[in-house]
Amino acid sequence: MPLDIIVGIKWVPNTTAVNIDPKTGTLIREGIPSVVNPHDLTAVEMALKLKDKYGGSVTAISMAPPSALAGLEHVIGMGVDRGILASDRAFAGADTLATSYVLAKVIEKIGRFDLVIMGHETIDSSTAHIGAQVASWLNLPYVYYVVDAVLEDDGNTLEVTRILENAYEKYRIRLPAVISIAMHTFNPRRVRLSEKLRAKMEKPIEIWSIKDLEIDPNCAGLRGSPTVVSGIDFVPKVPRKNEVFQGSDPKEAARWLLSKLIEEGLLDL
Amino acid sequence: MASKKMLCSEWEPINPMEYKGIWVYVEVEGGHIHEASLQLLGEARRIADELDTYVGAVIIGYGIKELAREPIYYGADKVFVVDDPRLEKYYPNLYGDVVCKLAKKHKPEALLVGGTMRGRELAPYIANNLKTGITADLTSIEVDKETGDIILIRPPFGAWMLAHIKTRNRRPVMGSVRPNIFPTPERNEDRDGEVIEETIDEVLDPRMEYLEYTPIEKAEEIPIEKADIIVSGGKGLGSKEGFKLLEELAELLGGVIAGSRKAVDAGWIPHDRQVGQTGKTVKPNIYFAVGISGAAQHIFGIREAKRVVAINIDPDAPIFENADYGIVGDYKEIIPALIEVIKEMKMKKSGSAKN
Ligand SMILES: Cc1cc2nc3c(=O)[nH]c(=O)nc-3n(C[C@H](O)[C@H](O)[C@H](O)COP(=O)(O)OP(=O)(O)OC[C@H]3O[C@@H](n4cnc5c(N)ncnc54)[C@H](O)[C@@H]3O)c2cc1C
Ligand SMILES: Cc1cc2nc3c(=O)[nH]c(=O)nc-3n(C[C@H](O)[C@H](O)[C@H](O)COP(=O)(O)OP(=O)(O)OC[C@H]3O[C@@H](n4cnc5c(N)ncnc54)[C@H](O)[C@@H]3O)c2cc1C
Repeated sequence: MPLDIIVGIKWVPNTTAVNIDPKTGTLIREGIPSVVNPHDLTAVEMALKLKDKYGGSVTAISMAPPSALAGLEHVIGMGVDRGILASDRAFAGADTLATSYVLAKVIEKIGRFDLVIMGHETIDSSTAHIGAQVASWLNLPYVYYVVDAVLEDDGNTLEVTRILENAYEKYRIRLPAVISIAMHTFNPRRVRLSEKLRAKMEKPIEIWSIKDLEIDPNCAGLRGSPTVVSGIDFVPKVPRKNEVFQGSDPKEAARWLLSKLIEEGLLDL
Repeated sequence: MASKKMLCSEWEPINPMEYKGIWVYVEVEGGHIHEASLQLLGEARRIADELDTYVGAVIIGYGIKELAREPIYYGADKVFVVDDPRLEKYYPNLYGDVVCKLAKKHKPEALLVGGTMRGRELAPYIANNLKTGITADLTSIEVDKETGDIILIRPPFGAWMLAHIKTRNRRPVMGSVRPNIFPTPERNEDRDGEVIEETIDEVLDPRMEYLEYTPIEKAEEIPIEKADIIVSGGKGLGSKEGFKLLEELAELLGGVIAGSRKAVDAGWIPHDRQVGQTGKTVKPNIYFAVGISGAAQHIFGIREAKRVVAINIDPDAPIFENADYGIVGDYKEIIPALIEVIKEMKMKKSGSAKN
């Protein structure tokens, strides 16, 4: 019983490369490379594992500017069959309601699918909204933080195990459905050069515009977003003492620190 | 109206003026109300007073009636209860659907959801069904003095800035809030309020079946949000081994270990020990930041620490600007030195106690 799977991947600035301007306190964005959201590679890995086991197909979808083609090529290099990039100026400035709407429309247009898999959350805005919202738009059952999924013999129910703060839960969920994968559940497989070459040769990546998707412009991008940033504030800085040990001997440094803390009554040694 | 033409064809038109009251979704787990929900009731009370409106609490499930008055003791004026055998098990789409039905009927101006793992799963579904906006992990709430708009505030990407987020023309204004962002209000049994029992005719078929719940056995560790002393490590530790040193120090001081997001991402420490905006807010007497650079999202989580100690090899690391006491150096030298000196001091003390 093959599974046709759709995975959502977001093209995000690589925050491990992000630096903060110490003078202005703002982000230095220039020259920051983008990557596929790392938690989405975990989702791709889950999709590929399911495909390895049950057969079927994996389609990666992304709403992003054209530069995200590189991200879709990356996951095709991992073994994803097909990529779809929803890209249009009209999609810019979207909050999660408008983003999830476009993704839901992409999924509708793909038509045939059994399972939608999302990452735990993104590393840039980390809302973890998109999975639930896509499920809502498509009126599908959904569950987050999945660590394991087994297709039952009937071929249309999935038994999923998910992790919460203090427990594992098991659900049986009827397909089609939406799941998100708990972060760090799997190590994503490596990109194979032969697969990446296939991406270049066969061009299994399509770009869909707002017209292709027949989306009402009032539902996408800034216009389809109820939330707006109405102002920016600085994080109030907590006043700190900023005393730094002057010297280089570790034991002296240790004595200095401990005596300060003991003096303040915070330590009793 | 021009504004009607602009509306997304998928959204039902609403009149925001009809929406009143600040609602809190009250999460029940294992027969108890989650602390995160109680904390939101306190904040909802503050906002409701400012807007001269009521605080509503929503409790749904099965066999939960005896909890119905609890939210009142923490600040609610009205508690909307759905006690229904069909809600015995939690399914996100089913619970979401029921909350939406109540929201459509009573039209609250705002709806807040505790950012537990289940809460973060449920809240965006509710928002989407209502075609309203939702702000994730907000850290404070304000009321616009001129317009009366509710403004949700969250730290944005990478910077020392806070984004003020408004919800244009859609209601309720929705937000999720991580545990311990707001304090738990004091329980007051003298507070008065009204319990409203709601019935739902038709519920959504969840298309899911709940099979099993297995608690995770965790070592008897103090959760980091309750610890007095925290020794926290970052990417600068270089390996999981580095945390062994921190553990030794923490143990000597009767504290616990924690970490930055990069340490969590590297798999050196579990996610429930992450400090910061997308982790936990901690309030220890002493917070040791070891090999942590001091990114805004990390510092956010230690704003309520009494004293911050920074140990970092880079004298220009931003952590020093956010610390009370700093030592510039390799943690592999500083931490063993600390351990040694503490042991010496402890020995001296037990020695002098004997004399
Ligand atoms: C600092 C900051 C804060 C923000 N806060 C909010 C907020 O509180 N509320 C709000 O409505 N919007 C917010 N936004 C806008 C939001 O980032 C965008 O709507 C974004 O497109 C999706 O949200 P996310 O990155 O949080 O995704 P998440 O919901 O965290 O993503 C979950 C999963 O959905 C999939 N996915 C997400 N985006 C895409 C995509 N574009 N293409 C394909 N798959 C995808 C991935 O599998 C991902 O792992 C914020 C933006 C920034 C920069
Ligand atoms: C939306 C969002 C939410 C986030 N939420 C969080 C959060 O909740 N918590 C969090 O922590 N981060 C969070 N981050 C990530 C944050 O921006 C930083 O990337 C992260 O905090 C950096 O971790 P770090 O300090 O361990 O690593 P780095 O920034 O890499 O710093 C390592 C430090 O170690 C020092 N070092 C190296 N070797 C040694 C040595 N031998 N001895 C001593 N010091 C040494 C270096 O000088 C450096 O300062 C978030 C980011 C985003 C975009």
